[in-house]
Amino acid sequence: MSVKYAMLGILAQKDLHGYELKSSFDEKVGEFWSLNYGQIYTTLDRLEKEDLVTYDRQAQDKRPDRKIYSITRKGRKELDEWLATPVNRVRALRDEFFVKLVFMDKDDPAPVLELIEKQKALYLKQMNRLTLQKVALKKQPKKPDTLTTELLMDAGLFHAEADIKWLTLCESKIKAAMKSK
Amino acid sequence: MIELKNASKSYKQGSREVHALRNVSLTIRKGEFLSIMGPSGSGKSTLLNLVGGLDQPSQGEIFMDGKPLHGISDDELTLIRRRRVGFIFQFFNLLPILTAVENVSLPLLLEGTPFNQIQPRAVELLNQMGLGNRVEHRPEQLSGGEMQRVAIARALVTNPAVLLADEPTGNLDSHTSEEIFMLLKTLHDKGQTIVMVTHDPRAAAYGSRIITLKDGSLSEDIAIGGQAA
Repeated sequence: MSVKYAMLGILAQKDLHGYELKSSFDEKVGEFWSLNYGQIYTTLDRLEKEDLVTYDRQAQDKRPDRKIYSITRKGRKELDEWLATPVNRVRALRDEFFVKLVFMDKDDPAPVLELIEKQKALYLKQMNRLTLQKVALKKQPKKPDTLTTELLMDAGLFHAEADIKWLTLCESKIKAAMKSK
Repeated sequence: MIELKNASKSYKQGSREVHALRNVSLTIRKGEFLSIMGPSGSGKSTLLNLVGGLDQPSQGEIFMDGKPLHGISDDELTLIRRRRVGFIFQFFNLLPILTAVENVSLPLLLEGTPFNQIQPRAVELLNQMGLGNRVEHRPEQLSGGEMQRVAIARALVTNPAVLLADEPTGNLDSHTSEEIFMLLKTLHDKGQTIVMVTHDPRAAAYGSRIITLKDGSLSEDIAIGGQAA
């Protein structure tokens, strides 16, 4: 479960209270992953019960104390192990488009061919937008997280490219199947 | 700046008539970075050849800055191509016996300009391409990415109105390709009009506009604005 490790990773850099943790999470992985405050606090509770994080109370004027969280030695060990372990699961092939393909009319592939064309154009447009964002990022002065952001953008581009290539193959195989009928 | 009006191109292959391009109308604006996508046989190279003055349409019209590229003599077309168009290719097409600075100077040498008048500009272009320390190297002493950067400098030496690129990174790895595209984007930011054909979506995605050809006709036209989002 990676939310847990993302939060441990953030706390390994700096002690933070819940609100700051959420901001840091959004800044680092928010492009790909959205979390609400509820999820942040539930996860923190769990991490605390597992002795992976601990907290200090900080008094505030006219408001309840707030908790400053920090990672424990056990938490750091678990984070390091997780960081060093390759991901075992290949990306799940769970895409809404696959379901559409399963239910296409085998006798009349024209609509699905049309859909494939629209889908390809859409992916290409997304790649276009992401590429121009990446170009803009690379022209800005480098910040500590620039490289990671760029690498994740690359991942998005490579995945979209794979989708387009696969859709092109679908097109060609469906057309060939039509001809051989 | 380049306008095609109902341009078609067909040629005979044995007794068969091949329609490489059918009725394409397209305006390429000044300062645009246009990517032309499509599978092999879709007509994208034919379209690039027409835009670059390497070929003329069988039917229809094509204009560069208002002047026709159709119905003119081969000599006139050659002159326009030499002075107004810069080319870069998948296999770089550098002359192996010439140094980088000589390769870059070549288009102007062919025009009859003496080398000592060209050299400062050629060196400056190589500097811009980050090749200041490769000026006297021959192609065999350069990496693929460096060779393509020499080729870009060569394409720019005439100050062309349009830079045409045919699968410019087809022979380079992903990281080197990205460096080439960052260079092209920098040129684009300075106002250079660029037209590139490619079958690679990751390459096409650098364009300010992407068109897709299918069986010789225009099928998609994507523009998300010339500026980076």
